[in-house]
Amino acid sequence: MLSRCGFGSLLFAAAMVLSLNGAQAHDESKYPDWSGQWRRPPGVNNQWEPTKPRGQEGAPLTPEFQAIFEANLKDQAEGGQGTDPTYTCIPDGMPRAMNVIFPMEMIITPNTTYIHIEYLMMFRRIYTDGRPFPEDTDTAFMGYSIGKWVDTDGDGRFDQLQVETRFLKSPRAFDSSGIPLHPDGKTIVHERFYQDKDKPDVLHDEVTTIDNALTRPWTVTKHYNRVRNPIWVEAICSENNDHIKLGKDTYMRSADGLLMPAKKGQRPPDLKYFNAQDARK
Amino acid sequence: MLFRIRRGSVVHAAAIAAAMLMAVADARAFDESKYPDLKGQWDRTAQPRWADAKSAPLTPEYRAIFEENLKDQAAGGQGTDPTFTCVAPGMPRVMNMYAPFEIVVTPRTTHMLMDHIHDSRRIFTDGREWPKEMQPNFNGYSIGTWIDEDGDGRYDVLVVETRGLAGPRSYDSTGLPLHADNETVINERIYLDKADKNTLYDEITVKDHALTRPWTMMKKYVRKPAKQPVWQEAVCAENNPHVVIADEPYMLSADGLLMPAKKDQAPPDLKYFPQSRK
Repeated sequence: MLSRCGFGSLLFAAAMVLSLNGAQAHDESKYPDWSGQWRRPPGVNNQWEPTKPRGQEGAPLTPEFQAIFEANLKDQAEGGQGTDPTYTCIPDGMPRAMNVIFPMEMIITPNTTYIHIEYLMMFRRIYTDGRPFPEDTDTAFMGYSIGKWVDTDGDGRFDQLQVETRFLKSPRAFDSSGIPLHPDGKTIVHERFYQDKDKPDVLHDEVTTIDNALTRPWTVTKHYNRVRNPIWVEAICSENNDHIKLGKDTYMRSADGLLMPAKKGQRPPDLKYFNAQDARK
Repeated sequence: MLFRIRRGSVVHAAAIAAAMLMAVADARAFDESKYPDLKGQWDRTAQPRWADAKSAPLTPEYRAIFEENLKDQAAGGQGTDPTFTCVAPGMPRVMNMYAPFEIVVTPRTTHMLMDHIHDSRRIFTDGREWPKEMQPNFNGYSIGTWIDEDGDGRYDVLVVETRGLAGPRSYDSTGLPLHADNETVINERIYLDKADKNTLYDEITVKDHALTRPWTMMKKYVRKPAKQPVWQEAVCAENNPHVVIADEPYMLSADGLLMPAKKDQAPPDLKYFPQSRK
C-alpha cells in the first residue's frame, strides 16, 4: 500500500503528526515510567544511612556538630526530642524527606517533576524547564530544586534525573536520631534518581549533602520499591500528635488528653498567664 | 503544498497519519491538546468563605450546632472549626483555596496541588470503579470523568464525585458544620470560562445529612500571569499559636507559654505532675 502513495502523501502525513505533536503532546516515552507508589524497602526504618542502624550512621560531622549530636542523644535518652525538630509536625525538609516515611508519588511533566510524599504534606517541585537558580527566594523546608533529565546510555530515552536543591529553611535533621544540619541554611543537596536496570520496580536516589555541619560531602543511596496499584492513605501528623511544646520544654499528651511529663522529674509548665485563683486542684 | 496533493493521496496520507499517530500514542504520548490548558498558578477571587452562613440550608439540629459554635467563637473558642490544630480542612473546604494552587493533568489522574495544611487532591480519571472499602480521608476519594460537552474533540469539563470522607470538617472558619457521620457526597464540575481562559470555575454540590437539600456553590479562580510563578511553602504547624489540652483550646503567648483563649479560662489539669510549680 505504501508504494502506491506519493511522496506528497508521506510529507502530508508527517506534517499532520508533527503539527499534533506541536499541539502540546507530551511524549511520555522519552521519560522513564516512574508511575505508581514508591515505598522504602522492608527493614529500612527512618534512618538516613539505610545500611546502618539509626543513630550509628557515621555522619561526618564537624567536632562542633558531633558534640551537638551527642548532647541530643542524651536528651532523647531522657525523653526529650534533642535536635529532631519534627515532633511539632513541621516537615522533615530536605534531604530527610527522602527517607520516605510514608509512600511517595512521582509525577513527571516536561517542565516539572513533582514528588509528593504522604507525610506532613511534603511536596517537592523539581523544575526541569532549564531555568537557573533565582538570585534570591524565600527559603523552604523542601528548598528550591532544579533538575535535568539525562540519557546516560544514549538510547534516546531519559533514564536519570539529576537534581540540585538550595534555599533550605531550618531547623532540619537527617533523621529522628537528630543528626543535625547546620542552621545557616546553606545546605546544598545533589541527587541522582534512576531506576534499577534489572528491577524496574526499584528506584534509587543517590543523595549527596553538602553542609557546614559536615567535614565533607556525605553521600547515601536510598532505595524505593514500587506498588503498581496503590491505595493512598492520608497521613496527618497534627491529627494525633502526642507532643506539645510549651516555651522551651516538650511535654506529652496522656491518653485522656492531659499534659504529662516527657522526662523523669520534669516540672509542670509555667501557668503565669492564668489567674492564680483559677488554678485547678 | 496541500493543494498539490491528489484526492486519493489525501486519503492515503490520512491513513498513514492515523497509523503514525496510533504508534505515537502506543509509545505513551500524552496528547495534552485533548485537555484544557490548566497550567500555571491559580488563586481564589474572594475571601476563603464558603458562603453567607445565613443561606446555608442546615437542618434545625445543625443550625443549633452552628449557632452554639458562633457563641463559642465570640467567647474566644474555636467552635466547630477544627483546623486550628492544623488538621486538614478536607473537602469541600479546600476548594476555598487558602493558598495559590496548581492543576497537573495526566491521563490517569488530575492532581490539584495546594500548598496549605494538607489540601492536595488526587482525582482519578482512569475509569476505575469505587472501591468496595475506602479508608476515610479528609479530602475523600475522588473519581473524575473528562467530558467534551461542545463536541469539538477536546475535553472541556472535569466532572468529579468525592466520597469516603473523614471528619471533623466545616465549610470555613465560621464553623459552618458538615454532618459528623461523614457520609458527605460532593459533585463538582470544573471548567474554564469560555470567553476568558484565565478564569476557572468549580461548581460544587454538597450532599450532606446536616443539610435539608443539596447545596450548590460556584467557586471562581483566576490564573496568575507569571510564566514561572513563585510557590511559597505554607507550614501550619510552624507558628501555630493554638494548643488543645483535654479538648480545651488554649493559646501560646509570645514567649511560648500557655495562656487562656477565653476570659477567665481555667488552666489545664496538671495531675500527672507530682510537684507543682511555685
